[in-house]
Amino acid sequence: MRYILPLFILLILPSVAQADWKEQFEKEFLTRPWAGVQVQRNVCIECHSSEMMKPEDRDIPRKWETSWHSQNGISCHNCHGGDPNDAENAMSPQRGYVGTPKPAQIPEFCGKCHAGILKNFLESGHGKALKTSGKGPNCVTCHGSHTVQKASIQIINEPLCTKCHSYGRVKEMRQALLLTENRMNEIEKSLKELKTEGVFTEEEDKSLFSTQAEFRILFHTEDVSLVKKRTDEFAHKLSSIQAKIQKTFEEIKFRKNFSAFLMMIFAGMAIGFGLLAKTPKE
Amino acid sequence: MLTLLGLTTVGSIVYPLGRFLAPPGEKDKSKQISLKRSEIPAGEAKDIPFAGMPAMVINLPGRGFVAFSRVCSHLGCLVDYDKVRNRIFCPCHAAVFDLEGNVVTGPPPRPLQKLPLRVEGESIVIG
Amino acid sequence: MWAKIKNWLEIRIGLTELIQTQLTEYRVPKNINLFYTLGFVALVFFVLQVVTGFFLLFYYIPHSETAFRSVQEIMSTVPYGWLVRQMHVVGSTLMFVCVFLHFIAVFFMGGYKKPRELTWVVGTFMFFVTIVFCLSGYLLPWSQMSYWATTIATTMPTAFPYIGDMVGNLMKGSPQVSGLTLNRFFALHVTLLPLILVILIGLHLFLVRRIGISSPPFGRAEEAERPWKKYHHVSHPDGHPFYPDFVLKEVVMLMIFFALMFFIISFLPTLLLPEESNIAADPFKTPAHIKPEWYFLAPYQMLKIIPNKFLGISLQIILSLLFILWPFLDTKEEVNILKRRRLLAFFVLGVFLWVVFTIWGKVS
Repeated sequence: MRYILPLFILLILPSVAQADWKEQFEKEFLTRPWAGVQVQRNVCIECHSSEMMKPEDRDIPRKWETSWHSQNGISCHNCHGGDPNDAENAMSPQRGYVGTPKPAQIPEFCGKCHAGILKNFLESGHGKALKTSGKGPNCVTCHGSHTVQKASIQIINEPLCTKCHSYGRVKEMRQALLLTENRMNEIEKSLKELKTEGVFTEEEDKSLFSTQAEFRILFHTEDVSLVKKRTDEFAHKLSSIQAKIQKTFEEIKFRKNFSAFLMMIFAGMAIGFGLLAKTPKE
Repeated sequence: MLTLLGLTTVGSIVYPLGRFLAPPGEKDKSKQISLKRSEIPAGEAKDIPFAGMPAMVINLPGRGFVAFSRVCSHLGCLVDYDKVRNRIFCPCHAAVFDLEGNVVTGPPPRPLQKLPLRVEGESIVIG
Repeated sequence: MWAKIKNWLEIRIGLTELIQTQLTEYRVPKNINLFYTLGFVALVFFVLQVVTGFFLLFYYIPHSETAFRSVQEIMSTVPYGWLVRQMHVVGSTLMFVCVFLHFIAVFFMGGYKKPRELTWVVGTFMFFVTIVFCLSGYLLPWSQMSYWATTIATTMPTAFPYIGDMVGNLMKGSPQVSGLTLNRFFALHVTLLPLILVILIGLHLFLVRRIGISSPPFGRAEEAERPWKKYHHVSHPDGHPFYPDFVLKEVVMLMIFFALMFFIISFLPTLLLPEESNIAADPFKTPAHIKPEWYFLAPYQMLKIIPNKFLGISLQIILSLLFILWPFLDTKEEVNILKRRRLLAFFVLGVFLWVVFTIWGKVS
């Protein structure tokens, strides 16, 4: 007992000598992934949020942070190229930097990854209008660029579409999409619920995603009759996903009941043995 | 009373244990799909449903038949065989797989699932 | 029929005498309390872990590419696999709780004092082995939670100058947590640690029986055990027979803990298996709020609030040494803690701080 204090003091001295206290702590400690805070270097964001930028450009990193891309680990260099780790060569063409696309080139820019949608778009009225006259919507018109969000039917709305033409045909298209969209959202909600119950839903997630992707690609063709024709096919797929989800919910209920049953048995045994323990001895 | 409880306990442990340890049963013959060689011309691919999962069989010129699940290992979109560029391509985020199913470029974390395939005379059996 | 079997054994191993000396005429102190059952419950939970772990081995594949999927298959495809896995997970937490309560009870009742110092020391080693069990087992499902919690745990030793990095690398088998780490943790968890723990348990039980069970120091006047000058077996001739009285108490406590385990499995299945445990490990993506498992939250929080890493780790080591060598540091003869205000305060403060740090670690 009496050696504790001297031992303590003995160890404090080299510890103090070793550390430059707060700065080193902050630099080393907080950048370790296990400290709970991830501080990753991204020179693009560092420069573009600094005083060197024009005020309107300074907002871009913040806007990007609210986007669906940011939540899925897609950052500046994934679209614009360049090197996010090297400040000197960050915007060098040798590192793949392609800069900002012109409006008519935006579909190809986004289509680097979203290849399926690019194909459908270029075959559609919108795409043809953009390519022939240079006047027409591109991806950014409806989806935004740095603030792009997860696709939903809300993107198709009157104020946006009537900027260029009447809403009549749009309404028809929206109607055709709506039922399936609602079902897909319902399924997404159920899957989320399953996740909170601890279930691993990878197969169903993938099934839903593939159905959603295939369905939403259809919109970019602007072919209402195609959408209507294929709605049944999608409804079928969604039904089978819903059936699987239903089965999983039932399985969860069974598990809860079974383990509750086991709990009751052991509680009963505890009471039984407890009573036995209390019986007076002969 | 206690014996009854004890027996119930033992039963409700032995039964699940038995099911846990029991082998999964004969390989389900109904899960196998067979098709004729002539159904897939050289250089083409055919979509087939396999055990509830979209799959495809490709007739690779000079390399024989190969079967893959069409479910992309990224987020689940269905991949397609691109015979022009001799690769498998996913339209959702431009993932490229080679003809072994390995990821060449793009976000998928794992190779494409290859399915067991054997050629028996004029038929191809998957599964 | 039964009598025939008994007789067959009797003439070979002296069954009657064995039953008499070990069970019916083996006596425990008259004022024994429920806390004395915790050691037995901890032992049964360890056996439960071995049994459920063994069955999990039937379907678990210890390779970084297949571990996660095999665990998910156990949870969804294998019949009642979910039950076996949940029992292993919840069982491990309850075993830790049991061991911890047992340690607190022994401390509180002065069961570490002369002549039982060695029993205490062996017990502390068992505690550390349990901790390594928990640490190594946690990585095996190879989920996001597993991967990153293990990254934290294996980075902590690097705070040591010179040998720190070497220790960290030795634990991980590679600069970052990888498949190599999985393999060595698996080897540890499944072969070496059980062997060591079984040996320590044997030693611990031998010491307890050889020296004799201590009496709780409260109420009744303590027998004239002090001062301890020569070996003699501590017996309690006016105490309760071990069998059936105390055995029944042990069984009741065991049933309560089992009921608790199944309660958690039924109504709180995600208590110990949050969402991150259902996402496969991704070395390139750190989840937002990664924390170690609940029993490590207190030391983790303590490390976080001490700005100097080296000091933080040294403090932990000093506390561990204090823990192991306690019987040699507290050599006062008085066993009843209620008569020792300072020690009681120290004890209460210690437990309180541990609880506070754990909760703080959870919410911060």
